[in-house]
Amino acid sequence: MTLERRHLATETGNRAFRILEENLIFVSLLAIVAFFGVISESFLSLTTLSTLFNQLPALTVVSIGMTLVLISGGIDLSVGSVVALSAGVIGVGISLFGLPLPLAACLGILAGALAGLANGGLGAYLRLPIFIVTLGMLEVARGLAYLVTDSQTVYIGAKIQAFAIPWGGSGVSASILVALTLVVAFEFLLRSTIFGRQIVAVGSNESAAETSGIDPRRIRCTVLVISGLLAGLGGLMNAAYLGSADPNAGIGLELSAIAAAVIGGTSLMGGRGSVIGAFVGVLIVSVLQIGLAQIGITEPTKRVITGAVIILAVILDRWRAP
Amino acid sequence: MRIVAKGICKSFAAPVLRDVDLEIPPGCIHGLVGENGAGKTTFAKIIVGLEDADAGSLLLDGQPYRPANTADSLGAGVAICAQELSLVDDLSIAENILLHISTSSWARVRRKSAHEKTSTLLDLVGLESANPRSRVGKLSLAEKQLVEIAKTLATDAKVLVLDEPTSALTAPQAERLHGILRDKASDGVSVIYISHRLGDVLSVCDRVSVLRDGKVRLTEECGALSEKALIREMAGADADFDALPRPTESSAPPHLSVRGLRTSRLPHPISFNCQRGEILGIAGLAGSGRTELLGAVFGLDKRLSGSVKIHEDGRITEVRNPRQAIKCGIGLVAEDRSKDGVFRDQTLAFNVTIAGLGGISDRTGRLIRSKEASTVGKLIDALRVRSNGVHQKMRELSGGNQQKSMLARWLHCGSGLLLLDEPTRGVDVAAKLAIHEELVRLRDTGITIIAVSSELEELQSLCDRILVLSNRKLVAELLRSNWSQQEILAAAFSEYAREDEPASVAVP
Repeated sequence: MTLERRHLATETGNRAFRILEENLIFVSLLAIVAFFGVISESFLSLTTLSTLFNQLPALTVVSIGMTLVLISGGIDLSVGSVVALSAGVIGVGISLFGLPLPLAACLGILAGALAGLANGGLGAYLRLPIFIVTLGMLEVARGLAYLVTDSQTVYIGAKIQAFAIPWGGSGVSASILVALTLVVAFEFLLRSTIFGRQIVAVGSNESAAETSGIDPRRIRCTVLVISGLLAGLGGLMNAAYLGSADPNAGIGLELSAIAAAVIGGTSLMGGRGSVIGAFVGVLIVSVLQIGLAQIGITEPTKRVITGAVIILAVILDRWRAP
Repeated sequence: MRIVAKGICKSFAAPVLRDVDLEIPPGCIHGLVGENGAGKTTFAKIIVGLEDADAGSLLLDGQPYRPANTADSLGAGVAICAQELSLVDDLSIAENILLHISTSSWARVRRKSAHEKTSTLLDLVGLESANPRSRVGKLSLAEKQLVEIAKTLATDAKVLVLDEPTSALTAPQAERLHGILRDKASDGVSVIYISHRLGDVLSVCDRVSVLRDGKVRLTEECGALSEKALIREMAGADADFDALPRPTESSAPPHLSVRGLRTSRLPHPISFNCQRGEILGIAGLAGSGRTELLGAVFGLDKRLSGSVKIHEDGRITEVRNPRQAIKCGIGLVAEDRSKDGVFRDQTLAFNVTIAGLGGISDRTGRLIRSKEASTVGKLIDALRVRSNGVHQKMRELSGGNQQKSMLARWLHCGSGLLLLDEPTRGVDVAAKLAIHEELVRLRDTGITIIAVSSELEELQSLCDRILVLSNRKLVAELLRSNWSQQEILAAAFSEYAREDEPASVAVP
C-alpha cells in the first residue's frame, strides 16, 4: 500500500517534472513575471502592460522571420536596418510625396521584401555565405535608410500612430493584434503545412532534402524574403509607435531577434525551432527589460543581466535536448 | 625492418579481419589484393594506428608494436600513404609534405631548407615542375597523389604502407613510383603495397597475399602467379545461390532507358535499359563510378550529354533533376544514409513522408496529421520497421530500420523505380535478409529496382542482370544464366590495366 502510494507519488512527480521541462520557457516567463510582481509594487499594472505592448510588435514580427530563417539553417543580420529603411520609405512617402498611408505602408514593406530577395538571391542561388551577405545588407539598408530620410527623423503625424495607439485604456492596439495574428499564422505554417516541413527538412539536412525532391535554394530564398517582408512590416510598426521615421531605428534589433528565437528553443544549426517559442522569447526579453528598469537597475547592469539570460537559455536548451 | 602480424582480428558491425598472419621481411615489397571490403584498408590502418585491432599482435623487428596513432607509428618508423588523401588544400606543397615530420609542434618552420628538401622529393616522384610554395588545392588529383607519396617518402620510414597509391596516376608515373619502391626495398625498407591494379602488383611486388572476407587465402611469390590466378582467389569458389524466381521476359518498352549519359564524374558515355519489374545490379570496385551513375540517373549531377527517359503508360518523360525524377516515380536511397538520406533529429513520420507531403495534405497544402499517422503506420508495419511508433526520433532507430524507412519514403511516394546504393551497408545479417526479402517482394509487385552493391553475393542472389563498371566505364552486362563471380571481378578490374590513362579521370 505504502509502496504503491510512493510509486504513485514518484509517477506524479515525474509527470509534473516532465510537463515543467517541456514548457520550460512558459514557466520561466511566469517566474520572471512573478519575481518582478513581488519585488516591485508597480510592476503588475496597466502601465507596465501598455509599455510592453508598445515595444512588442516590431520585435515580434522581426523575430518570426528570424526564426524561420534560423530553422532553414540560415541567418538574417539585416533585419534591424531593414526596419529603418522601411520606416524611412513610409515616412518620406507620406510627408514628402503626400502618398496615402496604405500605399506608403505597402511601399515600405515592399522595400523590406526586396532587401530579403537580394539576400536570398545572393545567399541561396549564388551560394555566397549568408552570414556575410546579410551582414553586407545590414550596412546597405542602413545607408539607404539615411539616404531616403536625408539622415533626419521624418515626422509623420497622428495618422500613422492610430495603428499603434491602444484602444481605450485596454493597452491593445492594432499593431499588437497584427503581431499576435502573425505569430499564430506562422506557427501554423511551420507546423502544419508542406512548406513548413520543407523549411525544417532543409535546415535539418540539406543534402537529404535535395534527394527528397525539395529545392533547398528555393526554400532558403523564400524564408529570407519572408524575413525581409516582416522586417518591412516591423518598420511600419516602429514608425507608427514613434509617429515618425527614425533612420536610427532598429539598431541591434537583429541580435534581440536572434536572442528571442534562441531563448524560444530555435537551434542556430537549423532544423529545430518554434514561432510561439520565439514569441515567448520576445516576452521574456521585454519583460526583463521593463522589470529591471522599474526596480531601478541601471542600463549597463541591465545589459549584463539580459546577456546572461540568453546564455542561460542556451544552456537549459542543451540540457533539455542533447 | 621486419614487420610481423599475428592473428589480427577486427570487427565493425561484422568481422572485417579474421586471424590475419603476415610477415614482411626487410627489403620485401609485399602486395595485398582482394575485392571491396576484403579488409585491405582496415589492415593498413591497424598497422599505422588509425584503427586498433580487436585481437592479435604486431611485431617490428621482433619487438611488440602497438601504435595508438600515426604519430606513434611514425616514431617507430612506419608510414602510410593513405587511399583517402590526407593533404590540406590551403597549405603549400612544402608545408603539406613536412607537416608530420617536424620534430616538435612548436618547432619553427624553416622555409628555406623546407623548400630545398621538398624540391628534392618532388624531383624524385616526378613533379619537377611544381613549385613547393604553391597551394595544394590548385593541383590535379594525380598531382595530389604524387604529393601524398612524396609526403610518405619524406618520413624516411623503414616500413612503408601504400594504399592504392597509383589510383590516379598514369602508367609512366606509376612506373616511376615502382622504381622508387624498388630502390627503397634494396635499402632494406619493407613495403606493403595495396592495389586494385593487379598488373602493377605483379610487376612491382616480390610476394603477394590475397584477402577474402577478412582472411588471407593465399601468400605466394609473384613470379608464379598470373592476374587470373589472383582473381580466382579473390572470388573464391562460386557458391551455389538460391536463385530467386525471375520475372518473365517481356517485349514491353523498357521502364528506364539511359542513352550516352555523361557527367563530369562519368566521362565515358553510358547507355543501358531497365525493364519494368527487373532487379538490375551494378557492380564495380569502390570509386568505379557506381554511386555517380545512380546520381546521374536521378539528376543530382549536371548532365553533360545523353538522356535519361522514363516510359510510363505510353508516355516518355526526360528526367533532368531530382524533383522531376521523383515526379516520374524514381526514388534514390543514397549510399551515405546519414549524409544524403536521413533527417536524424526528426521523427520517423517526418522522414517517411518528406518526399511525398502532397499525399498527406489537402489541396491548400495543409498537412493532415491523422492521415500522416495512419499512412506511415501502415508502411512501417508492411516493411516491419521496428520502432516505438511513428513519432520516434530517427536517430534512435537502428541502421537496418533506418534503411527500411528510406524504402518506406519512396513507397509512400508510389515510386515505381528504386535506385538503391548499397542497400544493406551497415546493417546486421538479419536485417540484411529482411531487406532482401522486401526487395524481392517489391519487385514482384512490379517495382523496378537498380541496386549498387560491393557484395557480389548480394547482387548474384538478388539481381536478374548485372552491369559492371570499371574505372568509370560501363564494361560488361551479365545475365543470370551466364555470370560467375570470377567473370564479374575480371570485368570490374579490366579498366584498371596498366595501359590506360587514368589521369584523364576528372577530379570528383
